[in-house]
Amino acid sequence: MSHSTTTAVPPGRAARRTAAPEPPVRRRSLFQRLGPLPWLAPAVLLILGVVVWPVVEMVSTSLRRIDTTGTDHGPAGLLKYHKLFGDPRLPAVLGWTAVWTVAVVGLTMLISLALAQLFNQQFPGRRITRWALIAPWAASVLMTAIGFRWMLDQVAGVLNRLLLDLGLIDHSRAWLGDAAHARPWLVAVAVFVSLPFTTYTLLAGLQTVPAEVYEAARVDGATPWQTYRKVTLPLLRPAFLVGLVINLINVFNSFPVIWGMTQGGPNADTATTTVFMYMLRGYDVAESAAMSVVNFGVVILMVIVFLKVSRWNGEEN
Amino acid sequence: MNRRSLVLPAAGLTAALALSACSSGGGSGSSADGTTTIRFVAADYGSNGQNPTQAYWQGVISAFEQQHPKIKVDLQVINWNDLDTQVKTMVQNGNQPDILQTGGYADFAKNGLLYPATDVLSGATQQDFIPAMSRAGEQEGTQYGIPFVSSARMFLVNNALFRKAGLDPAKPLKTWDDITAAATALKKAGVEVPLGVPLGKEEAQGESFIWMLENHGGYQDASGHYTVNSQANIDTFTQLKTWVDAGLTEQSPAAVNRTDLQKDFASGKVGMENGFPGQLADLKGMDVTWAAMPSKDGATNATLGVGDWVMAFKKGGHKDQIKAFLDFAYGKDNTVKFEKEYNLLPVTQSAAAALQADPEEKALVPFLKILPTASFYPLSDPTWPGVSAQIKTQIGSAVSDPKKALDALQQAAQQAGQ
Repeated sequence: MSHSTTTAVPPGRAARRTAAPEPPVRRRSLFQRLGPLPWLAPAVLLILGVVVWPVVEMVSTSLRRIDTTGTDHGPAGLLKYHKLFGDPRLPAVLGWTAVWTVAVVGLTMLISLALAQLFNQQFPGRRITRWALIAPWAASVLMTAIGFRWMLDQVAGVLNRLLLDLGLIDHSRAWLGDAAHARPWLVAVAVFVSLPFTTYTLLAGLQTVPAEVYEAARVDGATPWQTYRKVTLPLLRPAFLVGLVINLINVFNSFPVIWGMTQGGPNADTATTTVFMYMLRGYDVAESAAMSVVNFGVVILMVIVFLKVSRWNGEEN
Repeated sequence: MNRRSLVLPAAGLTAALALSACSSGGGSGSSADGTTTIRFVAADYGSNGQNPTQAYWQGVISAFEQQHPKIKVDLQVINWNDLDTQVKTMVQNGNQPDILQTGGYADFAKNGLLYPATDVLSGATQQDFIPAMSRAGEQEGTQYGIPFVSSARMFLVNNALFRKAGLDPAKPLKTWDDITAAATALKKAGVEVPLGVPLGKEEAQGESFIWMLENHGGYQDASGHYTVNSQANIDTFTQLKTWVDAGLTEQSPAAVNRTDLQKDFASGKVGMENGFPGQLADLKGMDVTWAAMPSKDGATNATLGVGDWVMAFKKGGHKDQIKAFLDFAYGKDNTVKFEKEYNLLPVTQSAAAALQADPEEKALVPFLKILPTASFYPLSDPTWPGVSAQIKTQIGSAVSDPKKALDALQQAAQQAGQ
């Protein structure tokens, strides 16, 4: 960027200089010679300190032998990765993480499409219902999760009371007591807290669709379903993809819903990789760091896919 | 606008971020005027944010600092859930406190981080400890763990529910068959949770240990080898599984934490459970019976004793200041006040005598009596903290498949520390 001397002038510039003579170039100050670096430096330092440094620490921790007191007993090589991949609980955790991510994101996108369509219509009370949709978003996710945990409690839970009074069950159930019952509830709560963001993203997308194209579709005699499939959905694609990818990363990394409701338990039956990483931290920091590295790899992969997809998006437009 | 004036604030912000990353903790050492600051990290015994332990220690510290103007104590009280990880981070960053009060000492001692107790306690203070408690703080012949408080478990029965089920609460249950009979009667009488078995991760290592002890089992044999999957332990969990399958316990013990079960007990939904003196405050005015633990064959009523520990780290080199503070903090008035506040059991002879003579503390006396016969965790084993953490999250599944879960834990225990 910055040349060490002012004499090294590119030929093009020299030619221009003869055409339109300027005052002779003064020795540039140090500050000028640094070019754009001073303006980039804060951002670069911030990224180095806040993003790169923790990643380096994470990877190097995963290669150490660290005991329960935090004392470092030297390099461990790939031992912790072997231990992690040898853990009998890991396959189930990975499987559930995949199911969790696909189920939560899939349901969120589907329901949000419908909700966005609804909120895009004119109807009395639309403003109030739009505000109401923000509620699950405005409340802390952890608070929502703990609220649901107590509603689903075996002894004190309001759901059991309701179902008992309606005669639908004959004795109280522990709705979060085993994986088979807890998992659908976890997904439901995660979808509940993901809906507002996704719906508003899609709603914003819907509002960019010009009225003329709908008019044209009507003139051509398209049915409502045809209009939706052939006009609305393609034009909604940019907003849909943004919502999809952000949700994928968010849900994959999601911690508070599961931690607040089951803490990954019983055993590690409802733990995703993120929650599992936190459980490992209790007795082996290095193995937990190894799990983080694996998680980090998955997120990087998702980001690469996102970049590819957004480029594809840009080209199509 | 001048371009430079944009750069400087941004660079300043970055520098501030970098600095704040480095400046967490710290603060122990000597200053120019001759005062020495020692860092003290302690656990919070207050429940639900009520009567925080911070207030107790502030009182002790300000009294101490008046007597010793050259010593300042920098206090940090951390709740039990975060204590272990925060201390771990401190040690990992070479930033350990001078004094730590927590649940275990063995792994710190093993790493050579601690002063021997004799270095940081005066003779008088040392002789006041109940000898068995001091011995439990020894590792390979040297005492590192200084007992702080103790506690013991007893079998807790809701008298009203027992009467409702046609049972006599004054007639203690002796064997596991008695438990089966009583639980069945309680269930028939519509009791929500006849027998509470909280195997959720909060305290699963303790709950499991009690049931193992009642069948002459345990985590280790006499020579200190792990025996998590011994036949006695498998039989114990097979019995627990039978109760769970028969609907005599909460539906999913592995998902129930001790604190939550205690609340259910206090609200009259639980027939019987393994209780501890910390519940006395909640149960005031409730008609309950504290009894010896029923066992499989009725021949033992071994119970679990737990101890919390104080330890002094060598890193800061503040041996004399630590000694001055510990001698002060272990004074009889302080220890008695703490134990009364939280219904804990004493570890010093002076406090034990004072509590036994106190008519207000009658409820603690049965626990004081059984404490000498109680069994403790393998406290001096440096692998125990890690093993215990794994037991907490995994042993709950032993009520579904006893052998598989206990085998996995035995394997993890044998690998620990390698």
